[in-house]
Amino acid sequence: MKDILKALFQPFKVVNLQTIYLLFGIQAMAAIILWQMSGGGLIPGPYKVMHGVINVISRPDFGENLFASLWLTTEGMGISIVLALIISYLYVIPFFKPLAAFIIKCRYLTLTGLIFLFTLLTKDGHQLKISLLIFGIVPFFVTSLVAIIDSIDQQEYELCKTLKMSDWNALVEVIIIGRLDQAFEVLRQNFAISWMMITMVEGLSMSEGGLGALLIKSNKYIDLSTVFGILVIIFSMGVIWDYVLGLLRIWLFPYTKIQTIQL
Amino acid sequence: MSNKLPYQREKLLFKVENVSLSYDTREILQNINFEIYDIVRPGIVQGQVVSLIGRSGIGKTQLFKILSGFKKPNAGSVRIGVDQHLVQMGDVGIVPQDYILFNHRSIYDNLKIAVNHCSKKMSDKEKEESIGHYANEFQLTEHLRKYPMQLSGGQRQRVSIIQQVLTGNSFILLDEPFSGLDVVMKDKVIELLVKVSLSTEETTLIIVSHDIESSLAISDTAFILAKQSENKAATIKQTLDLMEMGLAWHPEIKSDPEFIDLVGKIKYMI
Repeated sequence: MKDILKALFQPFKVVNLQTIYLLFGIQAMAAIILWQMSGGGLIPGPYKVMHGVINVISRPDFGENLFASLWLTTEGMGISIVLALIISYLYVIPFFKPLAAFIIKCRYLTLTGLIFLFTLLTKDGHQLKISLLIFGIVPFFVTSLVAIIDSIDQQEYELCKTLKMSDWNALVEVIIIGRLDQAFEVLRQNFAISWMMITMVEGLSMSEGGLGALLIKSNKYIDLSTVFGILVIIFSMGVIWDYVLGLLRIWLFPYTKIQTIQL
Repeated sequence: MSNKLPYQREKLLFKVENVSLSYDTREILQNINFEIYDIVRPGIVQGQVVSLIGRSGIGKTQLFKILSGFKKPNAGSVRIGVDQHLVQMGDVGIVPQDYILFNHRSIYDNLKIAVNHCSKKMSDKEKEESIGHYANEFQLTEHLRKYPMQLSGGQRQRVSIIQQVLTGNSFILLDEPFSGLDVVMKDKVIELLVKVSLSTEETTLIIVSHDIESSLAISDTAFILAKQSENKAATIKQTLDLMEMGLAWHPEIKSDPEFIDLVGKIKYMI
């Protein structure tokens, strides 16, 4: 027991999964107790927030709002990943390098100043939300995908050459097929950005509803237990999605789970 | 034990002429010259095995890249084949030190890619048979459904070599094939390379290595890459015609006193 406790505070020590789960449980519990004890005033305690969660879930329009958010995220992510993959794959063709480089730098553009421009360019609220999501996500997607492409060992391309593949075949084999698992991982990681942005863009056009619209309405009436309740739902949905995408990655690309063996 | 076995030197297959390489003011390689000929042994189908032996850090990897056409030298040329054309990327198969394979494909699919791009047109059945034959020959049949990461270094090396053989590359460059192996494994790699060299008359293995004993044991010709003097670029300091010396193609050559003596001399030279 003493050794386990010592190991918990030493760098690079490996502890078993059971201990990790136990640690997680204890720390989560401690945080909730601390939260409850420090509660009072404007910030609702965990009990009130749980009540808020139940209230939000019990609302007759909850399912509709949740579906609206999920659909918007999926649609935005779908279009974004297709665009980002195309731009990233084109990055290895010199003519398209400046385009990819520009899109990567677009991470530093703030969306707030561009909302008016997007409002002018789109025909309805849905299009506006999708466009903003895409504009917000694609630069991050492209940045991660280009970093993957840049880190590919030159020897892989050389292998393609010695196997008498054309440059296009090498692109397909090494970058497209060969890095599909990593592209999927980028999707998983960037899903968080998309999910985070959803509340912001849903606030711009509330006619379609969504969790973001619910959040803004509750914020307006300073209904903090509902606000925190929605945040807990958004957080939980994000964690579930992350877990599901993680499982999907292992199922689609089993080799990602294989450990290198040294014999 | 050493005795000269009959052979004939025929067509010129590979010619390196006045190859020099430098970075800024630092000269790495200078006036590298050597030739590889088709060696014909009566009654035996066997290709050529040539070694480029030199110490670590002398520029062997740079020479490896130049010979495979992946790097242009500052001066000189590398010509290949009976028509002696300038070497192009893809003319020479390479087996890098870390045995690069497509990690997202199974061993079978790695070999299938090679056979699909083979210069010789084959039917699907012939392709299957070819993969099966080599997998069986090199004890890889049970690993065909595995991924490269599930194999040991030695198994990956075998896949890497077979991949190049299946592509139909007659010239195969191997970068440090004996690196990091114990004595038993080195002998196994030697056995494997001999097997590959026996596959066709045209097969030419060019081994770039610092392992003098293992390289000499398998080669018919060896070129010693060394610096002419301190702070100078590396060049071919000596050519060893092991066939003429009676040291080529003997399975038990490592225990031959003459061979042991030669290994000692080369150690001193490089």
